[in-house]
Amino acid sequence: MSYQEKRSIVSIITGSIILAAYCIYAFGKYQSGLVAPDDLKFWASTILKFIGIGIVAFIIILIIFHIMLSVSIAVSQAVKDGNYDDKEIEKAIKVDMIEDEMDKLIELKSLRFGFSVAGFGFIAGLVALIFNFSAVVMLNILFISFSVGSILEGFVKIFYYRRGLSHA
Amino acid sequence: MPKKYIISNNIRTLRFFANEMTQQDLAEKAGVSRQTILAVEAGKYSPSLELAFRIADVFGVPIGEVFTCEVKVEEGKK
Repeated sequence: MSYQEKRSIVSIITGSIILAAYCIYAFGKYQSGLVAPDDLKFWASTILKFIGIGIVAFIIILIIFHIMLSVSIAVSQAVKDGNYDDKEIEKAIKVDMIEDEMDKLIELKSLRFGFSVAGFGFIAGLVALIFNFSAVVMLNILFISFSVGSILEGFVKIFYYRRGLSHA
Repeated sequence: MPKKYIISNNIRTLRFFANEMTQQDLAEKAGVSRQTILAVEAGKYSPSLELAFRIADVFGVPIGEVFTCEVKVEEGKK
C-alpha cells in the first residue's frame, strides 16, 4: 500500500471519528432536552467548534502519521538492507512520500466528487427549508454533507489508486 | 466512426534489458513515485507527455519504443 493510500485511510478515519463525535455530542444534547429545537446559536457554535476541532485533530493526526511512517520506513530499510546511513534513510522517506502528476490528478477527481456531495447537501438543505423544516435542520444537513463529502473523497482516492485512471 | 486509442507500453521489457532495473529505481530517475510507475506499467494510468518523455529518457530510447498506440474503430457508435 502506497503512502497516498495510507494517508487517505488516515483522513477517512479522522473524518469519521469527528463526524461521529459531533453526532454523539450535538444530538445527545438535543435528545436530553438541554437545547431548544430552534436554538440556532447553540448549533452554530457547536458546528464552529467541531470545524476547529476537526482541523486541529487532522493536523495532529497527520503529524503523528508522518512520524510513524518515517520510523517504519527507517526500520524496514535498516532490517532489509542493514542500512543505517541517515542520508539514505532520508532519501527513502522522501521517495516514498513524493507527490507526482498521478497523485494530483487523483486529488482533483476526488475533490470534485467531495464537492459534488457537499453541493448536493446544500441543495438538500434548501429543499428542507422549502418543506418547512427549521434552519437547524438545514445547518445540520450542510455540516453532515460536507463531512460525508470529505470522507467519501478519501474512498474515491483509494478507488482510483486501486483501479487506475486516464486523463480523459 | 469514433476511434479508441489503446496505449500500451514496453516498460517491463525495457527494465529487463536495463540490468533488471527496479520500479523504484525507474521511479527515482523519472521523478515520480513507485506507485505511478506501477500504474503506468500495468496500463492503469496513461502518463502525461512530459512523464512519457522522461521515462523514455531514462532508458535512452525514443518515446515510440516505450509507448505504442493501437487505434480501434468502435462500430455501432456515432
